[in-house]
Amino acid sequence: MTILLRAIFAAILLFSSLHQAGADEAELRTIIAKFASVKKFTDTQSVINELAQSADAAAVPALKALADGELNILKSDGTVVITRKEGDGFVYSDPLSGETLGTAGKSDFRKVKIKNSIRRSIGGLLSSLTLGSTDPTVRLQAAEALFSKADPDALAQLDAAIADETSGDVRERMLQARAATVLAGDNDPEAKLQAIAVVSGRGDRKALAVLNAFAANENAELVAARQAAIDRVNDALASWQAVQNIWYGLSLGSVLLLAAIGLAITFGVMGVINMAHGEMVMLGAYTTFVVQEIIRTGYPGMFDYSLAIALPLAFLVAGAVGFALERGLIRHLYGRPLETLLATWGVSLILQQAVRSIFGPTNREVGNPSWMSGAYEVGGLVITANRLWIVVFCLVVFVTLLFVLKRTRFGLQMRAVTQNRAMASSMGIRTPMVDALTFALGSGIAGIAGVALSQIDNVSPNLGQGYIIDSFMVVVFGGVGNLWGTLVGAFTLGVANKFLEPYAGAVLAKILMLVFIILFIQRRPRGLFALRGRAVET
Amino acid sequence: MTSEMTHSLLYLDAVNVAFDGFRAINNLSLTIERGEMRAIIGPNGAGKTTMMDIITGKTRPDSGQVYFEGAIDLSRQDEVEIARLGIGRKFQKPTVFESHTVNDNLELALTGTRGVFATLFHRPGAGSDTRINDILDTIRLTARRDELAADLSHGQKQWLEIGMLLAQDPKLLLVDEPVAGMTDAETRETARLLREIASERSVIVVEHDMGFVRELDVKVTVLAEGSVLAEGSLDHVSADENVIESYLGR
Amino acid sequence: MISRFLFTGADRKVFWTIIVLLAVAVLVPALNLLLPTDHPFHVPNQIVSLVGKYLTYAMLALALDLVWGYCGILSLGHGAFFALGGYAMGMYLMRQIGTRGVYGNPVLPDFMVFLDWDRLPWFWYGFDQFWFASLMAIAVPGLLAFAFGWLAFRSRVTGVYLSIITQALTYALLLAFFRNEMGFGGNNGLTDFKDILGFSVQADGTRAALFAASAIALALFLALCLFITDSKLGKVMVAVRDAESRLRFVGYRVEHVKLFAFVVSAMMAGVAGALYVPQVGIINPGEFAPANSIEVVIWAAVGGRGTLVGPILGAIAVNGGKSYFTAAFPEFWLFALGGLFVAVTLFLPKGIVGSISSFRGRMNTQSALRSQKIADMEAAE
Repeated sequence: MTILLRAIFAAILLFSSLHQAGADEAELRTIIAKFASVKKFTDTQSVINELAQSADAAAVPALKALADGELNILKSDGTVVITRKEGDGFVYSDPLSGETLGTAGKSDFRKVKIKNSIRRSIGGLLSSLTLGSTDPTVRLQAAEALFSKADPDALAQLDAAIADETSGDVRERMLQARAATVLAGDNDPEAKLQAIAVVSGRGDRKALAVLNAFAANENAELVAARQAAIDRVNDALASWQAVQNIWYGLSLGSVLLLAAIGLAITFGVMGVINMAHGEMVMLGAYTTFVVQEIIRTGYPGMFDYSLAIALPLAFLVAGAVGFALERGLIRHLYGRPLETLLATWGVSLILQQAVRSIFGPTNREVGNPSWMSGAYEVGGLVITANRLWIVVFCLVVFVTLLFVLKRTRFGLQMRAVTQNRAMASSMGIRTPMVDALTFALGSGIAGIAGVALSQIDNVSPNLGQGYIIDSFMVVVFGGVGNLWGTLVGAFTLGVANKFLEPYAGAVLAKILMLVFIILFIQRRPRGLFALRGRAVET
Repeated sequence: MTSEMTHSLLYLDAVNVAFDGFRAINNLSLTIERGEMRAIIGPNGAGKTTMMDIITGKTRPDSGQVYFEGAIDLSRQDEVEIARLGIGRKFQKPTVFESHTVNDNLELALTGTRGVFATLFHRPGAGSDTRINDILDTIRLTARRDELAADLSHGQKQWLEIGMLLAQDPKLLLVDEPVAGMTDAETRETARLLREIASERSVIVVEHDMGFVRELDVKVTVLAEGSVLAEGSLDHVSADENVIESYLGR
Repeated sequence: MISRFLFTGADRKVFWTIIVLLAVAVLVPALNLLLPTDHPFHVPNQIVSLVGKYLTYAMLALALDLVWGYCGILSLGHGAFFALGGYAMGMYLMRQIGTRGVYGNPVLPDFMVFLDWDRLPWFWYGFDQFWFASLMAIAVPGLLAFAFGWLAFRSRVTGVYLSIITQALTYALLLAFFRNEMGFGGNNGLTDFKDILGFSVQADGTRAALFAASAIALALFLALCLFITDSKLGKVMVAVRDAESRLRFVGYRVEHVKLFAFVVSAMMAGVAGALYVPQVGIINPGEFAPANSIEVVIWAAVGGRGTLVGPILGAIAVNGGKSYFTAAFPEFWLFALGGLFVAVTLFLPKGIVGSISSFRGRMNTQSALRSQKIADMEAAE
């Protein structure tokens, strides 16, 4: 059997290598010229089929133009040309050489009409024609397109391309495309069995689509193999989905952590309810916007460094506002948490309106630097660069903060003041200054979070409002006064939310999480990692 | 043992409480008779306040028995039920209802209506007025009856709180450091007050002030590291080797 | 009873406020309906609807004050009870539209027809009856408050934790009511009302009647709150606010007291919402926004929490200011509101009414001391 297959393969190779030589230009030109005389859609389709027969990549521009509705016929002499709108008129060029022939008005042309089914057949044809491209990415895309299309007629071209292919990756894709094509065509069961194995090896949604589309007919062996392959792909998909959900969850968790981590200092450590915390995040985001604006107008080459410049500035801006807030307002309200809540809410309204007055109420554009765009694919897992950076960034912030708290003199003083103010004061620590700096630190971190969040969220005056409730939930859930609790809380809520989403939808998942936390706080009013004992209650 | 349990007013046996691994109360056993006044002393962290928390239902013991009047298992009741059983508690820091007058503070503490709807439709009767007058007399606050509790001096707040306990008419009174921050005169007055109260009911006093304990002249229990170290008269326990050692922290 | 009302200063203030409210309930509609529009004492229509709206806000502020000012529970989710009451009334008004809707369906409201629903969801049953909708406007907020309060107070969630989870509660409801699947009109909410009890909601008479109903309801609530706060339970509530754990050791079930106050307050908020909706002609999920609930807190704080008249004055004053600012200087309203939050907490923690009372109290003690001194001096002479 395999010998037979090889023989067929060899024959195909020979045949296609002849084809690969391509038709000469004159022949192509004659075929394309036929577009001028088509009357019905079926005529158009047959011209396209002729182009397909030619298997010449030189026909690609003309076909693309046809699909885009830019293939026109000059009314004056019936020449088939590609048009491009320029100013009020159209520039027209030769469909093969691309040479500009002149300009004319809209009324000078007659368009070659197409319909959706034709557009689809052009799409498939384009992919098989581009299989011969010199650019490996183009070839890869072509193979992918053919995999999904699974057009039995493309088998010959695929086999030819596989024989010529030098890149391993592209070759693998082409083999998969070939397998899909084999399944679609009228081939013997043995070949199809092998094809099923190849297709299911991909283990992704596209493979599932091809397998589902494949009618196994009455061949029991094939039916079983198809079903087994579908199950296999489904299993693979499910586990990738779980991994993807965990990733989404971690990504959401990192956003929650970024928003909450400053609050873990101001609320968790100091016990100050800062309802303007979200506005500190917003200030950080607007700092990023201003930095990018200045770079855009003055130093466009620096754009990739914009975030690095914005980070310290955001920390300083939000930290300074936090410092002023503590000195000017919060210190008068220590020991009155409910009043603090109301006063800082007032501050948050003022900050929102101030930003709205200065920058306008609409979203401001904050761009991603080049190193933060794009995505990585690991198996069935898609990781976008900006999300990845944000996860990394939030962990760096967390570790830095932990270091500051546990290993620096300021951290020591801060812990001393929060544990026993009177004692710390009598040991010569300037407690009011420590309070102010601690609050500034928490606010500054919120500002830094704003830089990160500007990359994935709309930068508007309401930016902070969206995070304030979530942040409080994370801190309360994790256990007040416990940074690790905040970390675990953020990631737990993030992952749980993303696992609920497929079943409940995004909004309902969020509602369920809120209800869960409300119930959880009733069970454990002091959070996941609460301290227990007499001292806590006083 | 069972007879001791049924005859005593308060009976604690082998009680243990731990907070995150720290053993606040360690195999504590204690018996208070009806009509007895007992002073509890001990260094910081000896578990005095936690013991009170257990008796009043604020903290649940991990193991051990806590019985009131021989039959009532206090470890199964919460603060409110225990308060209604007749156990009153005075906190270390005087806590009175500051925005109420002295009179209203006592009226709230007075035995009687406690339910939501009962209090909603409650109208004070003449009987309660005489009770309040008596208590005001006892705690020397008659003149300040209509003043806000917030305006009282520290010592007067302590007395008002004791007065509220009297109004509750408890069988057992727990008093946590009643003379902390008091002048000498106030301390003497408080000792007199407590002795007067103890004539009708059982009292447990937790105190640091040895002068005050001597003035009370009652049986003393020394707590250390969550269990009973010594028991007896003040002279007896202050001669005890273990007590000296634990106080000096050797 | 009335002589007892007149007994103390605070009670006297409440008594007079009730009288004024009842007078307003009669006078404003009369001046609006009976006088010609060019008469100097004529009350214009927009003033009637504006003040009518303020009166429902005042009810909400009073309800919040009962739990916050007297019981120490800072609820940041009272807007949820208000909105639920409003939705109950809105559902009645929707069903009254009948065939006059865009799609002309006699049973289904327009948005359900739009969503291709073929039948009324079960929770819409009964809302074609006014009595049922009114009952639900009280019962639903009451039940939610009961369930939430029972869980929260029993577990001793207090202070800011409680505030934060009440905020989360209203936020969760906000998200829920935005969903079309919930069956409450989603994003757009309920609107385009036609008539209430057979009278057009647009008619002058209906407007005046709703105004009178709001003023009378507010007066009744004021009397109810006075009855509660003047009773021994009222004293227990204040004791809960001041020293909750002490009260437990005195033998009171603190959680029951809180639950009572919370449920009564939620029901009052529900009634306020039910009166609000026909006057403004719309109810949408925006009413659940946490920011709205926090704004209610500032009404009560400005007027004076822990007083009964204060929240009413505060609600009317702040909303009057809001109407003025948003028309005259829309940019500055949030600055003014934010500044108000800061200023009240820093400089006027007792609010207007509370500060006046304590100022008067101080004056009285001072004058008493002075006259005492004079008497002493005279005696010495």
